[in-house]
Amino acid sequence: MWILRINMTDRSYRLEELPEAYKNLAGRSLTSTIIHDEVPPTCHPLGPNNKLVFSPGFVTGTAAPTSARISAGAKSPLTGTIKESNAGSEWPQALASMRIRALVVEGQPQEKGKFWMALLSWDKAAGKPAVTFAPADEYVGLTTQAAYNQLFGRFGNRVSIAGIGVAGERLYGNSGIVFQDIKRRATRYSGRGGLGAVMGSKGLKYIVINREGAPGVQLANAALFEEGRRKMTEALRTHSITKPKGSLNTYGTAVLINVMNEAGGLPTRNFSSGRFEGAPNISGEAIFEGNKQRLGKELYNHPCSPGCIIECSNTWHKPDGSEHASCVEYESSWALGADCGIGDLDDVAELVRLCNEYGLDTIETGTTLAVAMEAGLAPFGDGKKAIELVHEMGKGTPIGRILGSGTETAARVLGVRRSPTVKGQSMPAYEPRAVKGIGITYATSTMGADHTAGYTIAPEILSVGGKADPLSPEGKAELSRAFQATTAFIDSTGHCLFIVFVILDIPSGFQGMVDEVNGVLGTQYTADDVVKLGMEILRKERAFNEAAGFTRSHDRLPEFMKHEPLPPHNTVYDVPDAALDAVFGQM
Amino acid sequence: MKTISVEVWLYGPLARYGGKPHTSHYASVFPSLPEGSCVRDLLALLGMPTEERGITFINGVLSAMPGLQPDLDRPLHDGDRIAFFHLRSMWPAQYRHGAAMTPELAHAAQAQGLFHAPKPVSQDGSSDVA
Repeated sequence: MWILRINMTDRSYRLEELPEAYKNLAGRSLTSTIIHDEVPPTCHPLGPNNKLVFSPGFVTGTAAPTSARISAGAKSPLTGTIKESNAGSEWPQALASMRIRALVVEGQPQEKGKFWMALLSWDKAAGKPAVTFAPADEYVGLTTQAAYNQLFGRFGNRVSIAGIGVAGERLYGNSGIVFQDIKRRATRYSGRGGLGAVMGSKGLKYIVINREGAPGVQLANAALFEEGRRKMTEALRTHSITKPKGSLNTYGTAVLINVMNEAGGLPTRNFSSGRFEGAPNISGEAIFEGNKQRLGKELYNHPCSPGCIIECSNTWHKPDGSEHASCVEYESSWALGADCGIGDLDDVAELVRLCNEYGLDTIETGTTLAVAMEAGLAPFGDGKKAIELVHEMGKGTPIGRILGSGTETAARVLGVRRSPTVKGQSMPAYEPRAVKGIGITYATSTMGADHTAGYTIAPEILSVGGKADPLSPEGKAELSRAFQATTAFIDSTGHCLFIVFVILDIPSGFQGMVDEVNGVLGTQYTADDVVKLGMEILRKERAFNEAAGFTRSHDRLPEFMKHEPLPPHNTVYDVPDAALDAVFGQM
Repeated sequence: MKTISVEVWLYGPLARYGGKPHTSHYASVFPSLPEGSCVRDLLALLGMPTEERGITFINGVLSAMPGLQPDLDRPLHDGDRIAFFHLRSMWPAQYRHGAAMTPELAHAAQAQGLFHAPKPVSQDGSSDVA
């Protein structure tokens, strides 16, 4: 196993044997460890001392279902904290097939405004990966799909590509890193935290992988792995959320729009209400029904990456039946829809498409547009004006650059007090005044406001939450800590987080995940180890953030949520600061 | 007899119980019921078997989940907003931790756990899970 280091100062590379200390690390556990060990916490995120680390998970590249995930990590230019942003694509499978546990991008070129691509292939004679570099200036300024089409034309349809759009080239705080989906659409994002800008700051436009001849992932215990794979597959295929034609395969993640709206927890018009009258028209049900009308048949969703058996990625079609955008996720439909007061699915789809084409995070872009609307740059609900503003970001006009900086910066520049951010990252689609548990995670996550930081399985499986009353501040803190630790582990396995929906209900699926990891690594982890291993990751991330200047006073929700009641429940966020401090008080 | 009027939202294929048989999008209706009616009476009026519904909200408060329906006898009031979701819908635990739910559901969940896999539901609203 290797760590591959790409140095963009002189366009060189180095292969290192995976150190013994990193042997049982992958995915988030490895990206966060390398950043903790090698990146000066006070460095500028866009300077030469920051590092961009990619790591496939433990089981990525194997036959484990729904496991083509990549962790991308760095010090975030959006938050100033450590960052792990996760995406699904065949790109991490290609990386894993070369037995590369981590790809570390270092340094910075002297030349300003120039971009290169790194071409990674398998050197059959040497029996190891090799890297060459090529100029990428001809792709600068192109939309992502046009550029990817050219790259596939140049290198063949079998390569895998990671890259940035114009947002990353311009070092925007809301820029992501884009990977191809199963039909070579440039649409799968490590979206959060501005990692596209980190890649752009290193003059690196693309990492193209040709996996031909690569040996594939080695299994320490193939029989145990196979047993785990079978358990996991069985669980995913039978659960109502993940089975074929189940919740996610039918309605996609946008299935949650109507549910959260009825719960009064769908942030609307820049977090001024928890219910949006236009919600049913931008929901998963609306997408399914609208596609049926426009295509004349039912359309179920597709996998974002090879080997996914959940298949939750949707496409939205124009009235003439041609494809408009993929994928209209829950978070995207909410951020670019409800949070902006936009209830027209065609407008929302166009906004999603533009974010993909320019290389923008849909969540941060939507919440920034909502702040701009509150500032009067456009009326809430004006989809056409919102589209114009995203084009401003794409063109790089002064207002476009301000909006590209993310929600907190835009709110400061535009004089908007209601800035729905934690540690500089905007909140996703769950209102903490209505769903209080997620507010604890938003506040205390090492990543800024992040809805994927607190996934978990049933507390009884984890043997936590039994001592403290889960409704007491101590109980909530204990649960949140366990939630975040478990999530950190799952982000290291290489599985998509959506497996968690299933292993909450089907414990054999959880055991399957542990078996798979043990089968790859030759370890003997048990269910109890999951929280311990996750806590170790969180410890490193917290230590990095503390050294970067973050204190408990940053583990807070924005002030307005404490005194502005949220309709329709008219509740404020009343979880006491002491409860938030208790989450990591013992670390 | 005094009556109450309620606002009912039916999502996905349940739209057919709101007079929209050809859509799996949504329907909203405003039926009138005798004062003192409960969720069971509303379901009867709509002609919807309770087994066909999953996540249910009354005024934004979660009152039922797939396989757990302790809300059948919950009284309804004039102006209430009731939302019924098809079993295909979902609300995973990660996204509802700390959200409002009825005392009956909170109590039932303590005894049984608030899981998400549809299990057989009998007419009294309980599920037969061991």
